[in-house]
Amino acid sequence: MNKITLTACPECDLLLNPTQTVVGDKAHCPRCGYLLQRPSKQSIERTFALSIAGLILMFPANLMPLIGIKMLGNAKDGTLWSGVLALFEEHMWGVAVLVFLSSILFPLLNIILSLLISAHLYFNKPNRHLAHWMRWLQHIDEWAMLEVYMLGIIVACVKLSSTSELKFGFGLYAFVALLIVTGMLTSSLDKVLFWRQIGRLKP
Amino acid sequence: MKSKKTALAQGFIRCHDCGCLSKRADKNRLCPLCGGQLHPRLPNSFQRTAALLLSAFCLYIPANTFPIMTVTSLGVGEPHTIIGGIIALVNSGMVPIALLVLVASILVPLLKLLGISLLLLNVHYRWQAHAKKWTVMYRIIAFVGRWSMLDIFMISILVSLVDMGGVAQVIAGPAATAFAAVVVLTMFAAKSFDPRLIWDNQR
Repeated sequence: MNKITLTACPECDLLLNPTQTVVGDKAHCPRCGYLLQRPSKQSIERTFALSIAGLILMFPANLMPLIGIKMLGNAKDGTLWSGVLALFEEHMWGVAVLVFLSSILFPLLNIILSLLISAHLYFNKPNRHLAHWMRWLQHIDEWAMLEVYMLGIIVACVKLSSTSELKFGFGLYAFVALLIVTGMLTSSLDKVLFWRQIGRLKP
Repeated sequence: MKSKKTALAQGFIRCHDCGCLSKRADKNRLCPLCGGQLHPRLPNSFQRTAALLLSAFCLYIPANTFPIMTVTSLGVGEPHTIIGGIIALVNSGMVPIALLVLVASILVPLLKLLGISLLLLNVHYRWQAHAKKWTVMYRIIAFVGRWSMLDIFMISILVSLVDMGGVAQVIAGPAATAFAAVVVLTMFAAKSFDPRLIWDNQR
């Protein structure tokens, strides 16, 4: 089978000749304006480094208290887990599962998959699961919602600030750092480059 | 060089996951690079999107009429709907946060429901004008969907923090499940809609 060198726009299916983009360029579809590729500097190395940093930050962000409140002499700390558990105890199964998936499991999977893929690409090691991992990563990406959770924390703090005393825990700083790292991770991961490398490593 | 022909018209199928092109004549239904299922367009895109959208419309009503949480303070319980929570924020003088919640939990879901309906009408009646603008609208809808989870995360934080028996307690209400379902269903609806259908109808 001869190799097909053409590409197509994912949103309007226009047949295109692949362009050689350099760092700083943006390749847009000429018909619908879809951002086809935006190469980033040292994409594989950066993704590798950032996913290690993210994995380390995952532990304090998940295990240490994010915010604590004091209300009429009662004190209480909240972690990512306690929000999920409290919803479970109130028999809000669906909401609890959704919060668990989008604030704990999918961000974790996102980082682990990025780490696995970028490590294999960095060390040039073929693996027959690479394409599966990359596919899962693309599907999970949308459902990891740490930045939305952060906004939720802010709104909850504003609501509570009038009636109770708030205390920010170390977990919150780790959470903010994790948020920044995952944001940088998403922007450094050049999907077109990753797929090309996965195709090259394919036995 | 750019061709105004779509990949499908030239006999190519683009893989949804890795973006590589395959010849349509090839009998194998799997992508040679990543092993994903090959479809010229997302399978049953119109029907799936319409079904998900209809379910989301139905659940939008209980999401807004039932209480999303009940705030008990010193033994007096007070159920809040989504709009009630926003009015409470305005009354306590926190207008910017109230605007944020208004946008995230009322305007975004509503505009998403209407936007996806318009996209479906566009495809069904083969509207010719402004295909590029419709694609941009699709892109915005797919991007903003996740931010509606703000209210759900805020509730999970409040429920876990404000849990002090008779003194102060927040209990999630039935609308939380309905609202979470609306967010998830509209996200799936946006994901199952194939924007290439808009371009296929252009003459």
